[in-house]
Amino acid sequence: MSHTRADLEIAAFAVDEVVEGTLTGWDGTTLLVSSPQLAVGAGEPALAEATVEVVRPGDRVRITNVLDAVVPDVRADDSAASFPGVLGGTWDDTAHPRIHRLNGVAVLPVCDWEGAGLVGPEEFPPSYVDMAGPAQDRSPWGSTVNVVLTCAPARGAAVADVDAAIRRSALELARTLAATTLDATPTDVRRVGALPDADPDLPAVCAIVQVASEGPLTDTFFDGDDLRDLMPRMVDPAWLTAGRLTNGAYDWPGVRNTTANYQDLSLVRALDRAHGQTLRFAGLILAPGYLDTAEAKRRGAEASAALAAELGAAGAICTTFSSGNSHTDTMLTVRALESRGIVTTALVCETNGGLTDHVPEADCLVSTGNEDELVPAWTPDRIVGGGDGDAGRTIAMVHYLGSCVETGDGPWTAVPV
Amino acid sequence: MTVVHYLNQFFAGLGGEEAADHETVRFDGPHGPGKALTAAGLPIDVTVACGDDRFALHEADCLVTLLAWIEEAGADVVVCGPSFGSGRYGYACGVLARELGRRGTPVVAAMTPDSPGVLASEGAAYIVPTTGNVAGMRDAVPVVASLASRLASGAVVGSPDEEGYLPRGLRANVRSEQLGAERALDLLLAKLNGELRTEIAPPTDRVAPPDPLGDPAAARVALVTEAGCVPQGNPDRLPTRHTNIWLRYPIGDRAELGPEDYLSVHAGFDTTEANRDPDRLVPLDAARALAEAGRIGRVHDEFFTTTGVDTPVAVSTRMGQEIGAELRNAGVDAVILTGT
Repeated sequence: MSHTRADLEIAAFAVDEVVEGTLTGWDGTTLLVSSPQLAVGAGEPALAEATVEVVRPGDRVRITNVLDAVVPDVRADDSAASFPGVLGGTWDDTAHPRIHRLNGVAVLPVCDWEGAGLVGPEEFPPSYVDMAGPAQDRSPWGSTVNVVLTCAPARGAAVADVDAAIRRSALELARTLAATTLDATPTDVRRVGALPDADPDLPAVCAIVQVASEGPLTDTFFDGDDLRDLMPRMVDPAWLTAGRLTNGAYDWPGVRNTTANYQDLSLVRALDRAHGQTLRFAGLILAPGYLDTAEAKRRGAEASAALAAELGAAGAICTTFSSGNSHTDTMLTVRALESRGIVTTALVCETNGGLTDHVPEADCLVSTGNEDELVPAWTPDRIVGGGDGDAGRTIAMVHYLGSCVETGDGPWTAVPV
Repeated sequence: MTVVHYLNQFFAGLGGEEAADHETVRFDGPHGPGKALTAAGLPIDVTVACGDDRFALHEADCLVTLLAWIEEAGADVVVCGPSFGSGRYGYACGVLARELGRRGTPVVAAMTPDSPGVLASEGAAYIVPTTGNVAGMRDAVPVVASLASRLASGAVVGSPDEEGYLPRGLRANVRSEQLGAERALDLLLAKLNGELRTEIAPPTDRVAPPDPLGDPAAARVALVTEAGCVPQGNPDRLPTRHTNIWLRYPIGDRAELGPEDYLSVHAGFDTTEANRDPDRLVPLDAARALAEAGRIGRVHDEFFTTTGVDTPVAVSTRMGQEIGAELRNAGVDAVILTGT
């Protein structure tokens, strides 16, 4: 199986400051944000309103009901094709796209599903980002300037329509912010295209990135289509960088793969760097997790391992999506890979009681942290996103967006005490 | 810094086995090994003690008294023991540590790794391993004193390997200098080169299958589920996910569980089909058929239920132990456990 990659250029813009004003634009290294201008209006009938607010690291703010995080990106060569399939436009591997990307800024869509009566009590766990206090460093978005898009569903709108409108609005906002740089000079430019040939004696290593798509509010999307029928398949890492894979799953936030994770996977960066030095990056497999039946889990695991074998992989790194059920998918995938002689490492989060599942073949694991550990209580001055935000109460790590993410993008790990 | 020290009757100088029923007592200053701790840099302000048998037979009452004294003293840290290989003394140290831990008071204990106090403490204490007898006092005292001093001052202590205490079965979050992806790559390359490293040791609590039933036709069989099956309306408010409770409901002489009376509140799967026939959650119809055919003795007259979704393994373990104890006390011989 050959491994080809699209040629993609990322022009990064370091944002030193975000200033709220009457116009949205770019001034040197300052992003100007006009909240009224960016608010979502009548174009999205499933939303009663969607307002924009900027919060910064150090603000005594807890953002609640956070759904996703998006890195502001725009296709400089074809703005309409940014986040293809969701905002419109299609992907063309031969187009040599150039993406303008804002660093240090994120778009965080927020919606109180329960408050809007669209889900039942406790159906979705609280989802927080703290901009100060003891949990500021738990979520990566405690240290970015966040443009928060607070969405209120229109009365009577179907939940799937509201969700689609929120995802569209968040990506549109991300595109609009990044588009302010279209005539500016980037801080840094890097290519993520085809890799050079590497010494064939180096071990071939593939990444297996697990995603899940279970239904409305628990879906992952590729080019705007849900992945409910996904079978393991090869994908070009550049496709993820270009925003083709987006998140619409709002379950446990600490172990949620956000769109921002897909846009800049640390695992792909690490494998790219190591390519030709210590290994050959053999490719990336997108694999389903959180599957419903034992047979589906076994079939998915075997198919991932078979693909890895076709790639000639001597080694594989498996990521995990969410916790609980999907850990069985990860463990079965590790077993299937090892049974084919493919040396495997997997990333999983832990609980206070250890792992949800484990097979003896999983003898080389990375811990992405203990999701049950309590973070000391903190009382913010302000809640952005609705509800009381558990102010003044201890909160489990798993409630902080991306705190224990199992894609390899986080710094947290758990150690025995 | 206020330090309180717990001892049994022997180490408190109250007597040997003949004083094992000695009531709880409180002294100012160090007693027995407390003097060695003081000499090692951990001045003992208050000593509390209890006879081993007294604690074992009147645990709740003894705890009330001991905890009140410790709270009154304003303890910054409590030292229990060393109890070495003593089972009763170790157990008392472990239980006291557990209760203090729940109240947020740091505890350091010392005992053999196989002491019942280790399990009883439920990870609340920093337990320094000792030999089985008092000959290990010299080695244990400086480690206990050092740990307790730092805990009392709020300092961070190192890992079990660094500090010499027994792993508490807890996993604490720390920030790594490397992202997870970089660590995964390092581990994989090491494994490819024959060096096996992991950040998570394999679990050691695998459950061995029980022996087969001697005579199924005489067995009382209970139905247990994690499928979230409850009476319509969920009258006891079983959480749909992340639960920390289990419930039980009488079956009486029902032949089956009908959809008009029962449903699943489980948040981890599509319950549409199951709610059309709750017997697929709790297979009462099938169990009744087996009993009628004489293949099992009888069906236990209540079923047990919880929601197994997003529940920490430690909570699941505790609930399983509690349900198991109830079933054993009720004379149940076997369980049909339905999972989702």
